[in-house]
Amino acid sequence: MVDVAVIGVGQTRYGMFPERTLKDLFHEAAINALNDVDKGLDPAAVEEAFIGTLSTGGAQLGNFAPLMMEAAGMVGASARHIENACASSGFAMRDAVAAIASGRARIAVAGGIEKMSDLPREKNRLWLGISGDVEWERLAGTNFAGIYAMMARRHMHEYGTKKKHITMAAVKNRNNALANPKAQFRAPLEIDRAMKTPNLASPLSFSDACGITDGASMVILCRADMAKEFTDQPVLVVGSGGASNYVAIHDRKSMTTLEGTKRAVQQAYEMAGISADDIDFAEVHDCFAIAELLAYEDLGFCKKGTAGKYIESGATARDGKRPVNNSGGLIAKGHPIGSTGTGQIYEVVNQLRGRADTAERQLKNVRYGLTQNVGGSGAAVAVHILKAAA
Amino acid sequence: MTSYISLPMYSANIDERMRLIAGKCVSCGQLAFPQRPVCTKCGGDQFEDTLLSGDGSLYTYSVVAGNGAPSEFDDEQTMTGDVLCGVVELKEGPRVMVRLADMEPEELEIGMKVRAVIRRLYDQEGIVRYGTKFVPA
Ligand SMILES: [Zn+2]
Repeated sequence: MVDVAVIGVGQTRYGMFPERTLKDLFHEAAINALNDVDKGLDPAAVEEAFIGTLSTGGAQLGNFAPLMMEAAGMVGASARHIENACASSGFAMRDAVAAIASGRARIAVAGGIEKMSDLPREKNRLWLGISGDVEWERLAGTNFAGIYAMMARRHMHEYGTKKKHITMAAVKNRNNALANPKAQFRAPLEIDRAMKTPNLASPLSFSDACGITDGASMVILCRADMAKEFTDQPVLVVGSGGASNYVAIHDRKSMTTLEGTKRAVQQAYEMAGISADDIDFAEVHDCFAIAELLAYEDLGFCKKGTAGKYIESGATARDGKRPVNNSGGLIAKGHPIGSTGTGQIYEVVNQLRGRADTAERQLKNVRYGLTQNVGGSGAAVAVHILKAAA
Repeated sequence: MTSYISLPMYSANIDERMRLIAGKCVSCGQLAFPQRPVCTKCGGDQFEDTLLSGDGSLYTYSVVAGNGAPSEFDDEQTMTGDVLCGVVELKEGPRVMVRLADMEPEELEIGMKVRAVIRRLYDQEGIVRYGTKFVPA
């Protein structure tokens, strides 16, 4: 297998941009990524492209990737749309890595985009509800908040986790986003106020959820042995894992473990030749705050059932031993569905290169960064481990 | 809004929805409910129809706040506000995500005994969709 390096990353600001088009957003992410390639890259040199999106309201389901590549100014590349719900671009990343590792391509891009703001509320609820096992989960009258809420309820029941522990993840991420100029929600949140926000799907309250977001991101990858032609600071993709699981939570043995995460991270650790102890920081899929707690356990950051105590210890805070979602995560940085996976890579690459947009949130002495991107309630999970090149 | 679960799709598993018929794996005896093409235990793909009792207990639940449920439930949410849903572990073993009825949010508790009843889920395209809801036993 050929070693793979990231040589440029780009991302739009996340937020609600009613005045902007899909093409415009993707163009910005692409230009941002091209400009990030220090020694320059001819867009025509991109051979393979993998573009993640859920739907954007169904308006452009066909030939989505060629259209986005047009907007990126990268016409000609072998391009395709990757869909795995909220994990679409985590899997786009995985496929771009594979395209280079296999020797088929020298330069590939992974990208992602979603524009959720242009849809009427009921259409958004339609699109947000189609990634479960629709025939059963949907007819139970629940949305993803309800599904994650049921997982949270089990975690509280089985391990004595408190609602406060769950909300602590949301509060941490909201406050982390204050220093991230590309984050959607940049208003401080205190635990007491967060605990009092209205019920969303019990035990989750409004503060525990992500919102409706527009945004796009792109990652440019190449063979590691040619990376120095493009930058003196390449970042190596040392681990990649992917897995799937039963879509409906009622079909899983446990509702407090995402087997997909465990399986994907195991592959990534093995490929990198490291263990959870080596991970210095991570961006995990906190679509709802409970998901971050489950990720701590499933990624091996703490023992099963102890995520509540783990977050309480401060280990995952910006100044903790292993910062998690220093960007603000999905809850505060934003969750433009198809963009989330490559948006996480954007964050980790910048941290590893010492290029965080503000000094305040630049992590010190970090070597290995991990991303975990989840589709639905765990039906598909992509994990990547990146490392700054020596 | 157009239909997300079309009538043909809905009627294809009406035996499960209305009559609680599970599939019993011919090779290992594991029950599949909702029915599925492949047994989760042994990988077998031959099943026999088996009637479930409709008795079970609440495995987990959530009170989904107003306007949180999928849009086909809008009429109901306008009237009732919250939607109660949960996963029921049936006496025979399988778990299924369901609507809960005839109970107040504060009565919900993991482990409470429930039983299946036929109720209106919602109507769409002028046709009432009936299905199973679970009520206190
Ligand atoms: Zn079997």
